[in-house]
Amino acid sequence: MKIIEATSSSPRIEYGEAGLSIKGESYPENSFVFYAPVFEWLAAELKSAPRFRLILDVSYMNSSSTKCVLDILDLLSEAAMRGCDARVTWLYEAENERSLDLAEEFKEDIDIPFEIIPVEAGPR
Amino acid sequence: MALRENFSGEGILICFNGPFTHSIIEEIGNAVKRYLEGETGGRGSVMDVFAVYIEQTQNVRNYIARQKIQGNGRNSAIVVISSKDSAYIVSSGNVIRKEDVGELAAHLEEINGQDKDGLKRMYKETLRRERKSEDLGAGLGLIDMARRSQSKLEYSFKEMDDSYSFFTLEVAVARGTEP
Repeated sequence: MKIIEATSSSPRIEYGEAGLSIKGESYPENSFVFYAPVFEWLAAELKSAPRFRLILDVSYMNSSSTKCVLDILDLLSEAAMRGCDARVTWLYEAENERSLDLAEEFKEDIDIPFEIIPVEAGPR
Repeated sequence: MALRENFSGEGILICFNGPFTHSIIEEIGNAVKRYLEGETGGRGSVMDVFAVYIEQTQNVRNYIARQKIQGNGRNSAIVVISSKDSAYIVSSGNVIRKEDVGELAAHLEEINGQDKDGLKRMYKETLRRERKSEDLGAGLGLIDMARRSQSKLEYSFKEMDDSYSFFTLEVAVARGTEP
């Protein structure tokens, strides 16, 4: 399991064993540079993974991070077409309706199982 | 005293004038978020003000870096967050190259000509566009700001000299009514 620790403008990322989780806030100085190692790993991993789980628990993401997350979802959709059992879980604090709106917009655009789950506010 | 009256009269919560670095953007953003969370207005409007602030300041910083705007304090920019009646106003001001004015004005006009659905469509189309490797952002910032505002984006260009203009942008975010 590889871990990229969170900073105040970038999320904690864990990846390995057919799964990826992104948790925190995402507005790094350069989103494309920040997410580059994740893309590199993901492209290799998805070539053969029979199943893949993506967990997104991001309370805020800026527009360039949104672009990166959509690109990740597209890679998962492509893997699903090759037979990978790819699933997405989106967690959001129940009172953060902007996070729910964003999840629903992503869900409209991709065709793999996409579960949206409200959780209690506060530190988790 | 006079300074305080000026700031209070204008409803100014935060004002920064200087070169935008990532750490300054982050520090001010965190201060704004903490302050707004203590105000009534609801989580949604706190997130919207914060998001508009981040998109504005990162847009300005990326533009200044990409176009190598420098010398004579030209890399210095302004961001102001103020509170007026039922809305928060997030404004920014920065130097831009005169040759960039036309394209930016056209983009702003296209955004201001859209309704809610039009903005969503424009956002999704831009999100799907191939990114060029030299891009620092995804070109989504202004559309995202418009989607979080209930008003049109207010902007102006003032000619500074033969090469540069000063661009200002004002985005109003309604104060929510939820606790």
